[in-house]
Amino acid sequence: MPEAAATETIVAPKTDPADVLRVEHVSKRFGPVTALRDVSLHLRKGEVLGLLGDNGAGKSTLIKILSGFHHADAGTMWLKGETYTPRNVQDARSRGVDTVFQDLALVDELSVYHNLFLNRERVYRPVPLLANRAMRRQARKALDEIGINIPRLDVPVARLSGGQRQAIAVARTVSGDADVLLLDEPLAAMGAKEGAMILELIERLKREGRVSIIMILHNYVHVLAACDRVNLIQDGVISLDKPTAETSVEELTEIVVEEYRRARLEANLRNGAPASSDRPATPAT
Amino acid sequence: MAVTSRPTPPPSEAAEGPARRGALGGAAGLGRRFLTLREGSITVVTLITFVYFATNVGRFATGNNFTNLLPYFAPYAIMAAGEVFVMINGEIDLSIGAMYLFVPFLFHEVHHAGLPIYPALIASLAVAAALGVCNAVAVSVLNISSFVATLGMLFVLDGVTLIMSHAAPVNTPGTAVIGLNTFAQVFGAGTYSELIWAVAIVGLLQLVLTFTRWGLYTIAVGGNRIGAAEAGISVRRVMMRNFAASAVLAGFTGILEAVRVTTATPDPSASNDILFQAISAAVIGGTLLRGGSGTVVGALIGALFLGILHDGLILKGVSANYLDLYLGIAILIAMAINTYVSRVRVGSGRA
Repeated sequence: MPEAAATETIVAPKTDPADVLRVEHVSKRFGPVTALRDVSLHLRKGEVLGLLGDNGAGKSTLIKILSGFHHADAGTMWLKGETYTPRNVQDARSRGVDTVFQDLALVDELSVYHNLFLNRERVYRPVPLLANRAMRRQARKALDEIGINIPRLDVPVARLSGGQRQAIAVARTVSGDADVLLLDEPLAAMGAKEGAMILELIERLKREGRVSIIMILHNYVHVLAACDRVNLIQDGVISLDKPTAETSVEELTEIVVEEYRRARLEANLRNGAPASSDRPATPAT
Repeated sequence: MAVTSRPTPPPSEAAEGPARRGALGGAAGLGRRFLTLREGSITVVTLITFVYFATNVGRFATGNNFTNLLPYFAPYAIMAAGEVFVMINGEIDLSIGAMYLFVPFLFHEVHHAGLPIYPALIASLAVAAALGVCNAVAVSVLNISSFVATLGMLFVLDGVTLIMSHAAPVNTPGTAVIGLNTFAQVFGAGTYSELIWAVAIVGLLQLVLTFTRWGLYTIAVGGNRIGAAEAGISVRRVMMRNFAASAVLAGFTGILEAVRVTTATPDPSASNDILFQAISAAVIGGTLLRGGSGTVVGALIGALFLGILHDGLILKGVSANYLDLYLGIAILIAMAINTYVSRVRVGSGRA
């Protein structure tokens, strides 16, 4: 039942040393559109957190704020115990937060290995020419390590399948030295086989325990298979926070259906009063 | 049009850029690989055009005529090289003709204000770079389309040139003593000066495009602007560099030409004709207007093609009235071939 779900702890104690990333009361507007109303979440070290929610609920916006692509209007973020306000994607990356965006950020015209190394190219010294051979070799090694088979690395990515493109976008993030990975629908556009490959990769990263991951997913089977915990984001707030071990596909489906129903009720009843700040989703019933 | 009959390309092995030619299998394979280079089709078309004029026009294939041809080719090649960077960036710079017109006058003014010749040259080119950055700011910060922003810059510079010069030609600084003057010899007046500059600049910029971060980011921004930004590339900085490079090369070409003919003439219609020649050279050479791909060497060959066509038609005795018509048809045919080749290239796996 949704009541039970909503009484789960939404934000952990403020000074939890196990948290690698904390987000508190973050909001974001795009002109008249409120993308995030009041989002608080936390990510423990080595954890895989699944982010669920309807289209337009604010999942991608949240990811883009965490990745430094957008800036939050209000709220605070902590990364590894320090305040975290990334100026841009580059800044976030230098602090160990790397992202696979929904649109993959691949350049069709560039080769596989140039895409893998985009904005972190290897160059010769002192004349900064691109060290293409070294990049190709390292790209091959990185792809082999994470078990992704792309026959040729010098072809433009325009020629690859959707799944291969996705795999490259994921590999680009994984092969860096980031310790917080943000994956916006890493399984979109993938066939079952390729999807399984990525899930296996995430499983392996989880076992190694070096990185912590937030990923947006749509398929509940994938969520249960890959994530330690799920957060449901709806209407710009986190409305559910629950370990995957305590839930099931049926329950998630039911919760989501129920959340929709409640959202519609709330929309009818709401007279503009914002939800209370530390408990954004007050049970309506 | 040898390309139209070629079969599906075999899976090629190495090679991801025009500057790279890996292990090849047989002459047919070599031919196929050559044609799938971005510069391949225009090189073939240029060779055919050259052979045609060489066999049909007696005076065409002579050293003397080659030096006559140079002014119809080298300046366009330099300007097109800059334009190629802006076009790969997914934008267009229409102000290069006006920059070509304006910078020699600026050079003259700065020199007459008391600056020695080399500092005056550098100062003029620095102003050109700053104006290029203004273009980039208008496009990437104010979000004005580059077509409109650089059109505005075109008229502003044409206007400033006319005001500054009172619509009267001026003597180019450094050209008073002919023959003994190193400055003039190096910067345009020497017989092969412009050719050497063109080849050097094109070679350098092709290197920059293929083997440096600048080139890679230019392709990335032109190919997927949002994706490039998400990868952390500063789109504005890339644009500023490219518009500045385009402006500097146009201004530099203006100075070369002004030194060559010893005067700078404030004629906006002539300079805008040069703008279109430069864009034609870039486009014929295999650079697509939609961004994300292009070649500097191709622009050089495109400029050479335009020069050969122009010179050959004149020597053949074709009425001057027909020149633009033939030029237009040539551009359309070359573009049709380029589009076809670029489709085939995607199939064959060339970046």
